[in-house]
Amino acid sequence: MLRRLTTRFPLRPLQTAALRPQFLATAPYCTHPTPKMPDTTDPKAVSRYLEQTHEKIFESNRAWVAAKKDADPEFFDKLAAGQAPEYLYIGCSDSRVPANEIMGLDAGEVFVHRNIANVVPTIDLSAMSVINYAVRHLKVKHIVVCGHYNCGGVKAALTPTDLGILNPWLRNIRDVYRLHEKELDAIENDEERFNRLVELNVVESCRSVIKTAVVQQSYEENSFPIVHGWVFNLKDGLLKDLKIDFPGMLADIQKIYNLTKG
Amino acid sequence: MATQDRFTTALRQNKAWAAQISKENPDLFRKLSAGQHPEILWIGCSDSRCPETTLLGLNPGDVFVHRNIANILQPSDLSSTSVIEYAVRHLGVKHVVVCGHTNCGGVSAVMANKQLGVLDSWLLPLRKLRDTNASRLKSLPADKALLQLVELNVLAGVKTVKQKSVVAEAMKKGLKVHGLVYDVGSGVLQELDTSVSDKVVRKRLTLFKKEV
Repeated sequence: MLRRLTTRFPLRPLQTAALRPQFLATAPYCTHPTPKMPDTTDPKAVSRYLEQTHEKIFESNRAWVAAKKDADPEFFDKLAAGQAPEYLYIGCSDSRVPANEIMGLDAGEVFVHRNIANVVPTIDLSAMSVINYAVRHLKVKHIVVCGHYNCGGVKAALTPTDLGILNPWLRNIRDVYRLHEKELDAIENDEERFNRLVELNVVESCRSVIKTAVVQQSYEENSFPIVHGWVFNLKDGLLKDLKIDFPGMLADIQKIYNLTKG
Repeated sequence: MATQDRFTTALRQNKAWAAQISKENPDLFRKLSAGQHPEILWIGCSDSRCPETTLLGLNPGDVFVHRNIANILQPSDLSSTSVIEYAVRHLGVKHVVVCGHTNCGGVSAVMANKQLGVLDSWLLPLRKLRDTNASRLKSLPADKALLQLVELNVLAGVKTVKQKSVVAEAMKKGLKVHGLVYDVGSGVLQELDTSVSDKVVRKRLTLFKKEV
């Protein structure tokens, strides 16, 4: 079973907007007090709590809008005119890894796809459509696959448990283990082995991105996009660049998966 | 290489971001490394102008996120199905949000009848939605028709979410499913009336009820 995590982190916005550098997109805006989750045996109190936590979203959204307009009155007019992001970010759905925020980037700067454990399965039409749109239509310059340590999806894939409909998705990660079985089995410490699987899962997702026709063709024609693998560390908020050798990996892949001819 | 500079910038800004967050909330990363307990599952568009945590004014740890092209939810899409399953069953989120947005490239492509190769398969549900509502959409001015299709797409997504067994069961225990539209031109979120799809859920629950 997935371990139910006991540490509770309530919706608690940051309050010190003035301290932030301009480029930081993180929103510290809502000052509305966070309601406390009531006793679950009282349905009326639970219902009220749900209303409050829902209303809170709109309140902090309005506060964010006001703060953005304050800093740049034309901010939303510029966004409405269109998007031209430099990056495609493929990451995990995990709530602790908000894509543009960890990169210190603002609305309009990163095209984002997030799924369970940042897997890029060949036959997943969702991920393939995102890559296609980002490369062909938005002409992004970088594709980042970003994993994170302590990933619930990777952990689940290390667990000998039937997880129902999640099984086929998590099998992608079990396959990563099988591909790197020797290396992983040689690591004695459980946490270190888990961390390494997180990294290798990112590397394999990068490989999968590079296997797509659209990435190979665009790179041949334009010398972009290039593909990067990152891991986010929840303990300190820092990104680690796995320094994927993009040209090397591409050349290696093209022995078998060359799709550059139109 | 010019592109390398942008890349380095993002990594540098991450250091500044981490330092800033730690300064404002010294305990945050320590708490986050112990686990996540988000109350909201957000299903939105990949569009760079719709960064959920930012526009909601929330923190890391608050929102579990799935973003795909045009926030399309197909019942058999394993990616979104896995996300919903994990968020509802294993994380126990209290709100599921399906959020569309104005100026959506996917919606515009469908309205303009563009051919987009691989993307055509992904956008097919949206094309079907356009066809089903063709007379209504044709009667509207172009911008209103686009917005209407954005809303119809969100309502269809909400319906798909509510039809999932795991969601239907959780709704009996208080899970709420919301449909929102985000206006990229003003930054404001609007909620749609999604009560119609509740009937669908009730019907489905009745249909699947075991005879004793």
